[in-house]
Amino acid sequence: MRQLTLAVLSALLMLACSQAQAPLSASDVVVTRSVPGMPMSAGYFKLTNNSGQAINISHVTSPQFASVQMHETIITDEVARMVSLEMLILQPGETVRFEPGGKHLMLMQPANDIDSVTLDFFAGESLLLSVNTDFDR
Amino acid sequence: MNFRKAFIVFASLTAITAGAWFSFQLASPPPAPRTATVLPATSELPEFSLLDQSGQVIGRNVFEGQWDLLFFGFTQCPDICPTTLQVLADAQRQLANAGQDPLPRIVLVSVDPERDTPDVIGQYVGHFGNDSLGITGPMDELRKLTNSLGIFFEKSKPDEDNYSVAHSAVVLLIDPDGRFHSLFGSPHIAENFVHDLPIIMSAG
Repeated sequence: MRQLTLAVLSALLMLACSQAQAPLSASDVVVTRSVPGMPMSAGYFKLTNNSGQAINISHVTSPQFASVQMHETIITDEVARMVSLEMLILQPGETVRFEPGGKHLMLMQPANDIDSVTLDFFAGESLLLSVNTDFDR
Repeated sequence: MNFRKAFIVFASLTAITAGAWFSFQLASPPPAPRTATVLPATSELPEFSLLDQSGQVIGRNVFEGQWDLLFFGFTQCPDICPTTLQVLADAQRQLANAGQDPLPRIVLVSVDPERDTPDVIGQYVGHFGNDSLGITGPMDELRKLTNSLGIFFEKSKPDEDNYSVAHSAVVLLIDPDGRFHSLFGSPHIAENFVHDLPIIMSAG
């Protein structure tokens, strides 16, 4: 009986661990298909810090693109400027949106014949999150 | 007698209702644009000499004969330019489905003529509609057009190969006489164009 109880508890513990939220999660991930002839796409998503401490995202990479940069389009007095985001800081519980006309990923120089894109989010050398998505259009 | 009274009452009510309806129609203002700013007086475009996507030299008369939606951007812009052009393409498609005739043409004027050759801009604008127009050309000629329309653009990080260009985000509407007629401020939403363009275009 005791062994059975332990087995059940172990199973429940494993289930709980498997369902625990990762410190960083992404949703609504979209990578736009490049306009024909153009070497870049844009990446949009919602990024949430599920942990109890701040997360600093230093850079994003993708095996399907030669270069990925975090940018923000800032429109002031009807003039659009694109600025680089050197670091993205998410406070505990915070969700940041990357969306058209705002923060976005600029993905440069795609490999040939890609159907899906992987985005890897890093804090320094630590890989925090890896997500896959199809091209949007 | 009763029939006569009933007829008089019915005729009176009909007359009152018709009068109220006509008064309401006369008093109701015509539909107004929701987001577009219509200029109090249209303004003439300057003379310029630029290139279309086939490399043909064009001047200001390229804007005559149809309504044009002008956006100033560049093909290596990853976010605001394709997003805006897609909004315009979506609006154009919705207007076509609603039976709007004529449809406005989508025009991209490059603020990065260094990289946007006629071939490049042609391939780019073709993605947003077969009848779209791409314009590029010498910087001094481009400045004639942008300065007259109050369009700002400025190269950022000019020392690097991978530079960006800050630029005005407005969409301008040019009337069939080739005159600057109205403008749409950002953020751009297809529904706003679908609502406002038929009103503006029908009013002339």
